[in-house]
Amino acid sequence: MLEIQDAFTRALLERDRPIPPGLTCSNGLRPERRFAIHRDNVVAGLIATLASRFPATQRIVGAPFFVVLARAFIDRHPPRSPVLLEYGKDLPSFVEAFEPARDLPYLADVIRLEAARGRAYHAADMPPLDPQTLAVLPQERLPFIRFDFHPATSMIRSSHPIVTIWAMNADGSKPKPVEPWLAEDAMVSRPTLNVRVHRLPSGGGTFLSLLAAGSPLGDAVEAALSESPNFNLSTNLAFMLGAGVTTAIR
Amino acid sequence: MNKVPAATLAASVTAALALLSGQAAADGASKEKCYGIALKGQNDCAAGAGTTCAGTATVDYQANSWKLVPAGTCVTIVTPKGHGSLNKGDAPA
Amino acid sequence: MKPSKLPGRAGVGLKPQHFTAIVAARQPVGFFEVHAENYMGDGGPLHAQLGRLRQDYALSIHGVGLSIGSMQPLDADHLGRLKRLCDRYEPDSFSEHLAWSSHDGVYLNDLLPLPYNGSTLARVAEHIDLIQTTLSRQILLENPATYLSFAESTIPETVFLAELVQLTGCRLLLDVNNVVVASINQGVSPDTYLKAFPLHCIQEIHIGGHAESVDESGAPLLIDSHGSPVSDPVWRLFEHVIDRVGPVASLVEWDNDVPSWAMLRKEAEAAQKILDRPSKTIAA
Repeated sequence: MLEIQDAFTRALLERDRPIPPGLTCSNGLRPERRFAIHRDNVVAGLIATLASRFPATQRIVGAPFFVVLARAFIDRHPPRSPVLLEYGKDLPSFVEAFEPARDLPYLADVIRLEAARGRAYHAADMPPLDPQTLAVLPQERLPFIRFDFHPATSMIRSSHPIVTIWAMNADGSKPKPVEPWLAEDAMVSRPTLNVRVHRLPSGGGTFLSLLAAGSPLGDAVEAALSESPNFNLSTNLAFMLGAGVTTAIR
Repeated sequence: MNKVPAATLAASVTAALALLSGQAAADGASKEKCYGIALKGQNDCAAGAGTTCAGTATVDYQANSWKLVPAGTCVTIVTPKGHGSLNKGDAPA
Repeated sequence: MKPSKLPGRAGVGLKPQHFTAIVAARQPVGFFEVHAENYMGDGGPLHAQLGRLRQDYALSIHGVGLSIGSMQPLDADHLGRLKRLCDRYEPDSFSEHLAWSSHDGVYLNDLLPLPYNGSTLARVAEHIDLIQTTLSRQILLENPATYLSFAESTIPETVFLAELVQLTGCRLLLDVNNVVVASINQGVSPDTYLKAFPLHCIQEIHIGGHAESVDESGAPLLIDSHGSPVSDPVWRLFEHVIDRVGPVASLVEWDNDVPSWAMLRKEAEAAQKILDRPSKTIAA
């Protein structure tokens, strides 16, 4: 019986293969048409799953292109789990190598942003850090504190204006030319139930990625300042505390 | 690289908390500044869709990738290198 | 083993986009059903919604990914996730399909048919035993919507299901829409299928919409699409079953092109009307 499921699986995944032997139609017709229903179910269901996770991406490339992209991705990366909540996490790297999308260099990062939104949506619930925790801390401890990041938080550093591009494709408004074309680092957070997308303040990418990697505050500030002279610590701290990207200090 | 004095950090923390309480006063408006929250038509629930036990009546996903170009809003997104998705000489769709 | 105990009323599948409308008032539905795999994230709005509704309504958790009909071993990770989900919400019922959907670690995202014979019967019974032991509860097994049959099949589906009940102590979820879809596709009358079905073992019913197509000969070919109102033949057969067995938990399934809450509720109310009719229970 195992052989039947082997053959069935191969014929589902490789659409050019003949259908497995031993299938019948009660009305005596050839079983190919019936088997095609299963082939369609597999692909259509997964395309719909990807479309629901990457709506801005679909709008950017248009539905017909998205279907072709999704199909090519599904062929190469069929799901490895019946839980599809994270299906598509390999789509950004796939798109980077997908020849028909080569003229859209920003697309992979927009997909990373949408994938991060999906992850945030299903991440564990935790209360964000109460900003007043910092207010009562002895001054001399400040350089050495480290932050625990919220499980819903992720950062996407990009050399393209991905937050701008994503935002104008997420709210249904009419996209306009993006001028000037500036690099944007994005942060996704979900302090309570709503997923939020933020454009990081200047120097925030370096500052927050160091903190997320476990660096103490003093070190992260120094690195951010030396990389980006416009780095404003107050603005970045206010952003970090207001967006609920962390849960505790250590 | 110079060490940032603790007093400087403390001053920034104080300033950040003041900024935050100002934003809290503006309340809902401050949340709107963060893209993604309460964006109309962009349903956060969309990310929740996944498995169903239903099949599909949709057939035919046989489009060819080799002649396909993106044709969504990317045609209006102007990169420094020009329109992303239209090959030179193509008329806009 | 905890028995399945959904109320004998009409229920609906929970869709996140209906949540606000649902909590605005007490709804005339007996239970909500969710697909297990959509609630296997750690937290977020979906769990917040489900936790809230669980306080006020009976809950059925319906799995679509266990691949009970697989000849390979069950996915232990997935079974573990399912156990955590059941521990978290203590549903009134857990159900799955007589079908397979995973093979060699690839999830095929469809409910695929299996041959019915002695060796598949033993394998499926083994899987049901393991699930019921792990979850410490009786599960309901759903009859599939099929499009194909197998030369290797030697046992009718209705007998196969009845044998599984005997072997494992599980109960059945009768999907009336699947009966119509499979019977028409297999060229038999849905009434004939139902006559052979072990109706005394059903603890839940599914009704839903299907799409109509035609095969090469022009004969009807039905597809289990859950994307439209419950069709007339399904209503008729549903009434017939309720006349036979009395009120049973009955779910309106609508998973694609999901309508407004008001429209879905109307379908559930129509089902409730049938469940509320004076009993005409016919001795079998």
